[in-house]
Amino acid sequence: MINLIVILTSAIMFALLLVWWRWPVFRGWIEAPKYSMLLQERRFDDQKTELELPTNSTSDKW
Amino acid sequence: MTTLAQNLSSRNNQANTRDLAALPSVEYDLVRAHVLASLVTLVISVVFGITVATKFSFPEFLGSHAWLTWGRLRYNHTEGIFFGWLGNAFLAFFYYAVPRLANRPVLSRKLGWFLFWIWNFAVVLSGWTLVLAGFSQPLEWAEFPLVVAAFVVLAFVLMVFEFVLPFLRARLSDLYVSGWYIIGGIVFTMLAYPVGNVVPNLVPGARGAAFSGLWIHDAVGLFVTPFALAIAYYVIPATTRRPIYSHFLSMVGFWLLFFMYPLNGTHHYVYSAIPMSAQKGAIVASAYLGMDVILVVTNLLLSLRGNSDTASKDIPLRFVWFGVVAYLVVSLQGSVQALMPVNRFIHFTDWVIGHSHLAMIGFASFIALGGIAHMWQRIAGTSYNARMMNWSFWLLAIGLTLMVADLTIAGLVEAQVWQSSAPWIDSVRAVGSYWLVRTLSGLPILAGFVLFWTGLVTGPRSETVTSAVRPVASEDVAAFDNDSVAAPGSSWTGWLSHSHVVAFGAGVGFFALSFLVLAIIPGRELEDEIKRVAPVTMATLTASEQRGRVIYGREGCAYCHTEQVRSLAADVQRFGAPTEPWETKYDYPQLWGTRRIGPDLSREFNLHTPDWQLTHLFNPRLVVRDSVMPPYPWLFDGGPNKPTQEGLDVLAYLQSLGRARQLSGFDGQRLASSIQPATSEMPMANEPSGRATPPAVPVPMIGGFSFTAPVLHPAADLANLQEETSRGGTLFARNCASCHGSGGSGDGRASASLLPKPANLTAARFTDERLSSVLWNGVAGSAMPPWRQLPAEDLRALVAYVESLHVPHGAPSTQEAASLGLGKALFAATCASCHGESGAGNGPAAGALAPPPTNFHLKKPTQERAWDVLENGVPGTAMPPWRNELSADQRHALVEFVRSLYAPPPENDGQ
Repeated sequence: MINLIVILTSAIMFALLLVWWRWPVFRGWIEAPKYSMLLQERRFDDQKTELELPTNSTSDKW
Repeated sequence: MTTLAQNLSSRNNQANTRDLAALPSVEYDLVRAHVLASLVTLVISVVFGITVATKFSFPEFLGSHAWLTWGRLRYNHTEGIFFGWLGNAFLAFFYYAVPRLANRPVLSRKLGWFLFWIWNFAVVLSGWTLVLAGFSQPLEWAEFPLVVAAFVVLAFVLMVFEFVLPFLRARLSDLYVSGWYIIGGIVFTMLAYPVGNVVPNLVPGARGAAFSGLWIHDAVGLFVTPFALAIAYYVIPATTRRPIYSHFLSMVGFWLLFFMYPLNGTHHYVYSAIPMSAQKGAIVASAYLGMDVILVVTNLLLSLRGNSDTASKDIPLRFVWFGVVAYLVVSLQGSVQALMPVNRFIHFTDWVIGHSHLAMIGFASFIALGGIAHMWQRIAGTSYNARMMNWSFWLLAIGLTLMVADLTIAGLVEAQVWQSSAPWIDSVRAVGSYWLVRTLSGLPILAGFVLFWTGLVTGPRSETVTSAVRPVASEDVAAFDNDSVAAPGSSWTGWLSHSHVVAFGAGVGFFALSFLVLAIIPGRELEDEIKRVAPVTMATLTASEQRGRVIYGREGCAYCHTEQVRSLAADVQRFGAPTEPWETKYDYPQLWGTRRIGPDLSREFNLHTPDWQLTHLFNPRLVVRDSVMPPYPWLFDGGPNKPTQEGLDVLAYLQSLGRARQLSGFDGQRLASSIQPATSEMPMANEPSGRATPPAVPVPMIGGFSFTAPVLHPAADLANLQEETSRGGTLFARNCASCHGSGGSGDGRASASLLPKPANLTAARFTDERLSSVLWNGVAGSAMPPWRQLPAEDLRALVAYVESLHVPHGAPSTQEAASLGLGKALFAATCASCHGESGAGNGPAAGALAPPPTNFHLKKPTQERAWDVLENGVPGTAMPPWRNELSADQRHALVEFVRSLYAPPPENDGQ
């Protein structure tokens, strides 16, 4: 049991580090969401009026 | 360079395209509704908690009503925090964040309101009501009855549609870490919840406990933690307006958390009957989890670099910062306390309660409060009262720090007492003041939560977002444009564009893995072992015992009394042999427990008489002066000797605990067939100076008659004897007066409902041998328990004190002496069959009698007492009245004869 956990965890960590080291483009891809999240915040900030939009604009397909 | 330029161009185009598109709508009504519901249920849950804490210091407080008893309020306290407070807070955050993270609205507003009503009325309100009415499950974090659990599962299924579907529809290639946590948490909890709620009802005992362990940890690790981290990862960049330090590290943390958390479950049952391989696997996973948390917290705190000013001034961010630091502390504490050398010491103590409060308040609640305040400030028409929020923060921080420090120290004190052979009640006495401080520390916490709520509803009203919110400036995301970014759809990242599918699959996969490793494989091992070693004669519970078991669970008894003796010397010498898996094979659901306020009950069979048990249930303080156990008067018709059917059912269940072990001869077989184990862990100490009688090999129970009982002689010199007698008086008042009365006359508060009555210690003179034997072995067939766990010097002091209660009379008169001959003849004719020819209590019938007949060599009753016994007999024993069979003269002759049999030891050497 202990061996299984140690091997699996180590394998996941080494795989991630390998990808990080071997493919620089991966770094860009994996870091991108932290910027897109902020961009999205800016979009919501910019659209002042939508902060209190009538909620009936939501799709009600359910 | 060409690739970089192309990537930048692609990313900018993507961003521009997004800007042109309409923003998804956000269900702010549902945000507000869930925020308000969360705070209402929070305050109610904290009131439940403070009431429960108060009962530790004042056990009679609200104690006469079944629906206000400790166990039921305790169930509602934790379930209210879990579902009412945190559940609603997380749902509010989902409605706020999911449209932003997925760039899609949640699935349906109607579905959202339906979910709101299910969560708050079908789950929280119904659950609370049913628990108070006596419908519950004795399973941690799963106390609401199964009918409510069904609605919880339904709610999580609806959450998948409401919150996970927008992510799946958006087909985002760059899902932010908060989105990963939201998806993983919802999916995993939906799958794990039935494991803790349903499976233990289908899989008994130790096997069921393996499943319970999974859910106990998953409840915190896969419901509370992911959603709290989702909030932290959201609020920090949204407030500082800078990206988090590393999204790569956040993803490493996410995967490790979802891999490691489920594997931690069995660390709640270290040294139990669950296979050691599963226990050690859970311990290793706990250590790994600590490392993962260091990584996550480092990443979060580095995300605040250069923003210390913002973190100190922005109240929501300050709440989140506190929560992140608490997350580090509580997780490292969790990793350490899973280690065997620590776990053996602090498990079951208040240390763990301090740990859980640090997790649920310090970590989860602080971050949830920060998330709520953050959202509130950004919803048009709402803003908070900063002054009240500030007060709220400090009240909560101070109250929590005091509570955790207090409970941690209390846990260490309890652990220290438990390692000794002091009576269990000494550990209760030792932490009484800590429990009072814990209750008082709850008051600033309650005030902090109320102020937070008040701060939300009394903030300045505005139709626009408060000016305190700094919009994201272009320069803040400049780094984004300068980073190298893989173009969406490039060959190797193609499969990664479906990261949300990976997250979904990971939740299911890791769930299945933990299920397999910690529950199914150990379960099979246990099943094989049970088949191999379980005695064929093991009987199931009777209908009455089974009903009693349900009541025992309903009243929360398993939350103070464990039913598992761990394979530790301290446990074994206090409670008896370690619990074997086969002993639990009929336990649906398991009642092992993870906390000891009272002693373990798994060896209760033959330990206490029915009258003691009933008196104790009616009002524990009648027989144990300093007990903090709640009274259960609703199990009686007005008095301890008038139990209702429910009271008799509970009694029947209690008396069945450990019965199978004792009656099966299991230990005798094992002794005969196995080599004597090493005794270094459990040294035998039969010498009088020993503080206990730890068994060299497992025995079914403590308290059985021991021929090795030491003879405790009080001090020979007067000065020491006076000191011993004085100390004995203190010990007597503390441990004996409840039954024997403060003067030793057998008229204590419990005496009215005990049969036979507690001995009138003033009405006889006892030898040291007799008193030593009674203190060491108890009196079979009576409520008198063995007190051999007391130190020898305490037992000796008690002997000295009890002997001091007897006032000696003068020598017998000539007339009395003349009647000895008649008395001897009468004794041989009427008494010897029980009391023996010589009056040593060893007549032919004595072996079948409990309590055993009096040995008149060791006990000299007063004339009044002996006369009273001959007149009226001794109710509750085999001694009948003789007033109709013998004349007054004959009875006088017998009185003098039995008093003449007393043979005190020839010398008192003080040994």
